[in-house]
Amino acid sequence: MKAIDPFANESDSLQIDHLTIENRMDRVSIYGSIEITRDKKGLEDARMLSELFNSIVEKLSKEDLPDTIPPPENVDTVENPFD
Amino acid sequence: MKAGSFIVALLLGILSSVALAAPTDCPWHYFGGQAPDFLNERLSAKTEEICYEEFGLIHSGVTRTPLTSAEHLTRHELEVKHPRRQSAFHPDPNLPRSHRAELDDYARSGFDRGHMAPSGDMPDEKSQYESFSLANIVPQVPQNNQNLWEGIEVDTRKLARRDGHLYIVTGPIFYGSRLKRIGGRVLVPTYLYKAIFDPARNEAGAYLVKNAEGNRYAVISIAELDQLSGISVFPALPEAVKRRAMDLPAPRPHSRVPAVKDQSIVPGKG
Repeated sequence: MKAIDPFANESDSLQIDHLTIENRMDRVSIYGSIEITRDKKGLEDARMLSELFNSIVEKLSKEDLPDTIPPPENVDTVENPFD
Repeated sequence: MKAGSFIVALLLGILSSVALAAPTDCPWHYFGGQAPDFLNERLSAKTEEICYEEFGLIHSGVTRTPLTSAEHLTRHELEVKHPRRQSAFHPDPNLPRSHRAELDDYARSGFDRGHMAPSGDMPDEKSQYESFSLANIVPQVPQNNQNLWEGIEVDTRKLARRDGHLYIVTGPIFYGSRLKRIGGRVLVPTYLYKAIFDPARNEAGAYLVKNAEGNRYAVISIAELDQLSGISVFPALPEAVKRRAMDLPAPRPHSRVPAVKDQSIVPGKG
């Protein structure tokens, strides 16, 4: 499976067991749950997650980071066209 | 001129039968073969139907979201196991650019891309990819998408496995005088619903949640949902079935924070 390129696009999505991973420009969303079983599948799942976290750490550690990301900038309010 | 007036009568007959049900290219996704109908005509502006393998969308070029996403979910489709999946969110190639959401609209908005027909219902890679079309997506509050809503999707699949098959319509409700908008283009719904008709029990009902943080949900009848959403989600369903809300199972979110049934979230009942 192709690995996620963290923060590089808004499209990559990955599911491992019941864990969902979604790539965004300002975050990587990871949610759900996963059982890492003590078997070959468990090792493979753990390797995929380990690679994902390594690539996130690598990417972030190379950047000049703010303390926190800015609040959402893309939101306004409009009249309800259906009301 | 008898033949001529017969043809006119025939044409009128065809036209009136067309007027009764919205035309659809994929009747198999809908209960009774009938696509959802607009009760609030304003919702019908700039709408188009998109027929995908596993679900049928009615998309609005005003909200740049789906208004309804309909599936006929069977036990058979859910037998396929997917330990790992990969897919990609994408703008819908079937829609004109002016009508559709783009990935940039959602970027840095603070909203999740919330699936209406869930990716977890899709049996193969093609339908999986189709479910990641932004025509099947609404801006959803992350805590809602990742917990309560996920729980509703999981328990709906359990119900389909138990009872064999379900007709499902999922969609947003744009309620209130003002709405949030992202990217200057995509409207943010105030509520989300998942309407379910269970043929094995001949019962129907809908989960209703606010597009907000928290684990509260309501269960309402299809008749109540139709009034709230301005859309008749199952036009072919008998009135008696529409009027009585099925006792839908309590969703169990991943976070293990239990979902709380709270009928006071239904607008007009709070």
